[in-house]
Amino acid sequence: MKRIIIDREKCDGCLNCNIACISAHEEGSNFYTVNMQSPDAETRNFIKFDAQKGYLPIFCRHCDEPECVLSCMSGALEKDPLTGHVQYDESKCAACYMCVMNCPYGVLKPDKRARTKVIKCDFCDDKPDGPSCVKACPKKAIEVKEVSL
Amino acid sequence: MKIVIIGASAAGISAAKTIKASEPDTEVVIISKEDSIHSRCMLHKFLGHERDAKGISFIADDFFETNGITWHSNTTVIGLDAQKKTVKTHDNQDIGYDKLLIATGAAYFIPPIPGLREAKNVYGFRDLKDAQLLDSECNTAKNAVVIGAGLVGMDAAVAMLMRGLKVTVIEMTPAVMSLQLDQKSAQAYQQLFEEHGAAFILNDKVVSVDVDEVGRGKTIHLASGKAVPADVIVIAAGVRPAFSFTEGSGIATNHAILVGDDLKTNIDDIYAAGDVTGMAGIWPNAMKQGRIAAINMLGEKLLYEDRYALKNTVNFYGLTTLSLGNINPEPEENCNIFIREDRHNYQKVIIKNGIIQGVIIQGNIAGTGFWQYLIKNKIDVSGKNKDVFSLSYADFYDLNQDTGEYNYAV
Repeated sequence: MKRIIIDREKCDGCLNCNIACISAHEEGSNFYTVNMQSPDAETRNFIKFDAQKGYLPIFCRHCDEPECVLSCMSGALEKDPLTGHVQYDESKCAACYMCVMNCPYGVLKPDKRARTKVIKCDFCDDKPDGPSCVKACPKKAIEVKEVSL
Repeated sequence: MKIVIIGASAAGISAAKTIKASEPDTEVVIISKEDSIHSRCMLHKFLGHERDAKGISFIADDFFETNGITWHSNTTVIGLDAQKKTVKTHDNQDIGYDKLLIATGAAYFIPPIPGLREAKNVYGFRDLKDAQLLDSECNTAKNAVVIGAGLVGMDAAVAMLMRGLKVTVIEMTPAVMSLQLDQKSAQAYQQLFEEHGAAFILNDKVVSVDVDEVGRGKTIHLASGKAVPADVIVIAAGVRPAFSFTEGSGIATNHAILVGDDLKTNIDDIYAAGDVTGMAGIWPNAMKQGRIAAINMLGEKLLYEDRYALKNTVNFYGLTTLSLGNINPEPEENCNIFIREDRHNYQKVIIKNGIIQGVIIQGNIAGTGFWQYLIKNKIDVSGKNKDVFSLSYADFYDLNQDTGEYNYAV
């Protein structure tokens, strides 16, 4: 499966990946037009800064054993057997947030607007040119690589 | 090999899925007393008319066909012969198995209060059948009483409020959802429910129910002397593991079916998973147990070690809360309690000797999944030398360079 591999030494915390993620999920927007003030402006990845360790990019792993999928009581979260990516069907989701509780890396979050869905990396729907965050990274700190499923 | 699974909720379905994913040729038969597959955590969405029965299913429509699983619905198992390796159903079928998984869950419990067990308008809130019966009552009822303000009681209350009933919730403890919340976080929910029309009677007990000439409970009498009128009564006072059909089979039980770490009972080839084991508690753990039991039934070895069950999330009226561990420590436990709050958020972290004992995060719960890992693995955070509220997975960041998966650096 394809996974976003992180080289945190290369990350300089520019947050282009965050903006790219928000833009990718705001129909028709680009880096310059994306509405960062919208309640829907939610990033699915984040970068933490640590005085000792520097920048730490934290992105959904689409885990081999996804705790979010195992905790989902509505069937909204499923690991696609072909792509290996954890897909989210918003129409099934009951917003119980067991997945938020069970993600060991604290990646998942409820939406800010109404707390009726989960904000989660969708790997940009497996578009052929790859996830937008990776395309937006000027340092190649995040790259898509093939890993065994 | 033929594997028979009794029960078609979290543990049973998760087991069937696991078996078919790794060994599609294994014959899988599921027996369930229900005629639909549904998630009990969404029953309030059904009762509140937000979703229909299909809308609270947690599997694909064609799940059984696609996976080649035989499903005996509307079928109750009434006996088990561990020597002959057969289960007996209510319609007198004997169904043979090579391996058996008992995932029959739990059933609600009606306390022995005069009038309560006899009254015809008393319902649990456990299965779709309960919700369907309640649904038709809600068409005519005006006054609803919910006994028990735990998560299930609050689910029933929120649904009946949506249906326009006048809802009164009666609870023995001084606060709602006392297993998950402290006083402050409970108060926030109580207030939201009250704003939507609910009334709460806390710190009080039902002592009797007046039953009318047609057998319906009409007035609920409380220890305080109060009397509450009721057209429909929901009992949410806990559940008990459901395994009466195992009587005489030799399976060891103690208020629940006893299993080892491999989820096998004392009898070879018979496994149990989910609420019937008395150690699942919540959906994610039941799913995991179903999966682990399935792997062991297929002859591999996997142990149920991620047992931590003191965890939950609450989401009513858009107010979300994460609750983990010991959230109401006694003074003699000598814990340090840290609280941070603003007008949208209430956060409480309980620490003892550098180990986090419990957490309540109410309001914004984004990215809070790491807390459970810290608590259940008893990770010492004192060395981090930082404000406990600024902790995140980044403080334990470790990446496997080959697989790209995260680990915890501790």
